[in-house]
Amino acid sequence: MKELNEVLQDWEAVIGLEIHTELTALDTKMFCNCKLTHDDEPNTHVCPVCLGLPGALPVPNKRAIESIVKAGLATNCEIQKHSMFYRKHYFYPDMAKNFQTTQGPVAFCMHGHLDLEVTGRGAEERPACAFGEAEAASLASASAGAVGLSADLSRMAGEKAEGASDEGALAGLSSYDTAALATAKRHEDGSYTVPIRILRIHMEEDAAKMVHVGGEEGRIGGAAESLIDYNRCGTPLIELVTEPDLRTPEEARLFMEKLRRIFVTLGISDCSMEKGSMRCDGNVSLRRRGDTTLGTKTELKNLNSFKALHDGLAYEICRQAEVLEEGGEIYQETRHWEPSRKRTVVMRTKETADDYRFFPDPDLAPFDLTDEFIAHCAAEIPELPDAKRDRYQRDFGIKRADAEQIAGDPAGADFFEEAAAGLAGKAAQTVANLIVNELTGYVNAAGADVTLATCGITPAQVASLARLLAEDAISSNQGHEVFTLMAQTGDDPAKIVDERGMRQVSDTGALQEIVDAVLARCGDQAQQYRDGNQKVLGFLVGQCMKESRGKGNPKLFNELLRASLS
Amino acid sequence: MMARSFDTLTAAEIAAGIAAGDFSAAEVCAAALDAIAAREPEVQAFLQVTPELAQDAAARIDAARAAGEALPPLAGVPVAIKDNMNLTGTRTTCASRMLETYESPYTATCVARMLAAGCIPVGKANMDEFAFGSSTDSSAYHPTNNPWDTTRVPGGSSGGSAAAVAAGMVPLSLGSDTGGSIRQPAALCGIVGMKPTYGAVSRYGVVAFGSSLDQVGPFGRTVEDVALAMDALVAGGRDAYDSTSQEVAPAFAAAAAAAGEGLAGVRIGMVPAFMEAEGLTPEVRRGVERAAQTLADAGAEIVEVDLPHVDAAIAAYYVIGPAEAFSNLARFDGIRYGYQEPGCTNLATQSALSRAHGFGDEAKRRQMLGAYLLSSGVYDTYYYAAQKARTLITADYNAAFAQVDAILMPATPHAAFRHGEISDPTQMYLSDMYTISLNIAGNGGIVVPVGLGEDTGLPMAAQLVAPAFADERLVTYAAAIERGLANGNNGASVLGVAPAFAGKGGELR
Repeated sequence: MKELNEVLQDWEAVIGLEIHTELTALDTKMFCNCKLTHDDEPNTHVCPVCLGLPGALPVPNKRAIESIVKAGLATNCEIQKHSMFYRKHYFYPDMAKNFQTTQGPVAFCMHGHLDLEVTGRGAEERPACAFGEAEAASLASASAGAVGLSADLSRMAGEKAEGASDEGALAGLSSYDTAALATAKRHEDGSYTVPIRILRIHMEEDAAKMVHVGGEEGRIGGAAESLIDYNRCGTPLIELVTEPDLRTPEEARLFMEKLRRIFVTLGISDCSMEKGSMRCDGNVSLRRRGDTTLGTKTELKNLNSFKALHDGLAYEICRQAEVLEEGGEIYQETRHWEPSRKRTVVMRTKETADDYRFFPDPDLAPFDLTDEFIAHCAAEIPELPDAKRDRYQRDFGIKRADAEQIAGDPAGADFFEEAAAGLAGKAAQTVANLIVNELTGYVNAAGADVTLATCGITPAQVASLARLLAEDAISSNQGHEVFTLMAQTGDDPAKIVDERGMRQVSDTGALQEIVDAVLARCGDQAQQYRDGNQKVLGFLVGQCMKESRGKGNPKLFNELLRASLS
Repeated sequence: MMARSFDTLTAAEIAAGIAAGDFSAAEVCAAALDAIAAREPEVQAFLQVTPELAQDAAARIDAARAAGEALPPLAGVPVAIKDNMNLTGTRTTCASRMLETYESPYTATCVARMLAAGCIPVGKANMDEFAFGSSTDSSAYHPTNNPWDTTRVPGGSSGGSAAAVAAGMVPLSLGSDTGGSIRQPAALCGIVGMKPTYGAVSRYGVVAFGSSLDQVGPFGRTVEDVALAMDALVAGGRDAYDSTSQEVAPAFAAAAAAAGEGLAGVRIGMVPAFMEAEGLTPEVRRGVERAAQTLADAGAEIVEVDLPHVDAAIAAYYVIGPAEAFSNLARFDGIRYGYQEPGCTNLATQSALSRAHGFGDEAKRRQMLGAYLLSSGVYDTYYYAAQKARTLITADYNAAFAQVDAILMPATPHAAFRHGEISDPTQMYLSDMYTISLNIAGNGGIVVPVGLGEDTGLPMAAQLVAPAFADERLVTYAAAIERGLANGNNGASVLGVAPAFAGKGGELR
């Protein structure tokens, strides 16, 4: 198979994502009072409602509606005041009612977007030919071809259910505004920004968890029996569907990361891909560069990490290219990413479109969200990661990449703001470096239950250490040592440095004496340097450090040696 | 005190008698169980009789009275529960093989509220399978006989609940009404039956047929008893477990008593097209005219109103009802509970055969119809059109209620028919022509007996319809009809227990 970069020169990958997020921050399920839980004994958090027992009725969880409205506002969606729940029918034991309660053509949140900044090596996945006019044509044709996304949605779009009052709400669905498509903007350094449109975010209930005993990786093939845990059944779930605007696996990965940072900041979910509270399916098709009709798409499952999302899509793009270049045909099918074998395999083939027999759920009255309700949700939205990143870059003067990383994690951001309070420039950047390089690694290594809040290191300690580093009172190597000591002892770094006599000597007068002594002793090496051997300077700095018993500032030694030898 | 049959007492009289110490709840309970034992072989109103539950409840009432506690309003009144309502300790079969052994782990709100009001549960009443029908003949277990003529049906789907009251086995029962399933059997059995406005009574714990149409309501032999049951059903406010339920004031008994003040200033509408409809028998028509005259005698003004789109109600109903039924009954797949086909080697076969053999013909017919109506390409033609009809019919009623306080109309086109007399499902569906539009529009209706038919000698009835959430009016006007007829005016009298069963067993000692 060809490499991704080579494939994408000739082929355009059209990618859309469907991202399911469990609202794990809520206390109870979507339509009943059962507790939300991830790890409890199977079937211990169930009731007549989530078990779909005869006569049971759903009652919507108001806090779940608040959560999805916040998600919509934070992703630039239009909040639909009038929407309703629909029933989606399929016979499978993971849904006790044999229908899933989900939303119809009008979701709570419609037509949003997120802007991606694609930098570094990831930006190289999008070839130069995929910018400008070609990209505008590509977006317009892909959107036109994907209207409605599925037969059921497009069917529902033509309908006015429950009387005539829906006409206004449905009008937005009738056509896509392809004229207003925004294209990628490339910057001088090779990075680019691209807006990715969001079709909708709708509210639904999760299904039960099934374990197929004896099957490979818990799948049904070859299984002897199947177990069902209804604890998860009825968990509030929001599903975000993007427009087919993504063109590279890197863009898909960045979109998912960005969305995760937003949802975590909103506090609506723990967004754990590992535990399955955030799950992503990828739809991908290929077409020759310049083509305006869409190829047949496949749907990828089991993309349960950012790496899996990227690598699964990359593999599938290369696989499709190989099939097509050999004159083969792509079948519309669902494929399973196998990370261990780095390949996708067929799960099931969709020969006909499923008929889910969607219709408005008569047990749930249509929603009419008030302006007050939406305003109340908006007021509860904290500063979002992008705004925070820009503020950190502006007010603290730290690097954009570091600002982005810190701002994406609410706990890390709070920590940073406390540690960097009153600092700017070098000291603030040093705080950022310590959080990104030292602290994150330390917390991750400390075990799964350790968080920033419980790791024992305080913002004051990090601020103190950053000051020592910024003032060159200790070297960066010493900084790492002091970090470890302060984590162990809980002491203030200044105290550690003083007690252990680690403070660097930066008095040039005192250091010059050492330099003079070393040069006098190492005449041969001095001559080699003068003869053009730059490498020998490191040896001389080492000698100076040794002479100073490690306390001399290595940077100053370097400067003084160069001056003395010139 | 002289011995007498318990069936001569209304619910109100039983509760008053127990409160006064004239007899105990245990004695009433024993009399009810005795009456059921004596009459059930001919009527077959019950799928399950629950003596232990009844005796325990009666003992609690007697203990409360002995302890000097205040008794709830229906203390010691025997009640029958339609078998699509969950009550822990009983099977909830919906008269289907599918749920032959199913016991619900929870009790329906409507049942819980009747029990909280002091009622003693004597059994689960027969019905058409999953409430699909107008005769109770589609019960998977046995038909129920009309106490006025046991060769005839009691109506349906709540036929067991209606027959139990008409035969004097209980003074009160609960039914559910999706297209007329309370009002039609009440009419055919000569008793009072009420379908409140959609949302007035909680549906939680009642096995759903058509979620946007279903409504629970009571049967009784007097308007006062039905009003007392309504107060019990709405006391406690809206049910947090049913998001479509609404707060309704428990003012029904008061509204029944208000009939004594006359109906001066009340405007009652009648729809000429209904009175001239094809299929309406002359005796039913004369019965409704007696009711109109009685209301006029009480001071009401009778005026003509029009409901131009109501013809579409049956068609709309047979789209919306089956569509919702298909969805609601999808859960019965034999996996977690209910009938499971033995010996299947895969899931799809097990579900398919469990459903094929667990459901009866009418249940399968409605689900297949619903599955078709909701399918891609068909949905727009039928479901959307039905919703439009629904909007128009609701608007018709709103326009009519701008002119009148209530509308008087027949409940059924004819008296009770014989078992097997209507074999064509479509003809059976048409017998609901006067009841269905209320389920489509959502507002409430009450059926009140208006004497016996001159041609058949069977019970005749009239139906009163009020605007949504004006159900207390129904009770007032129905009580006025009942009073007027009791005075012997207009050549009819109040009907009591069906004569063949009156006084049979059930002696209150």
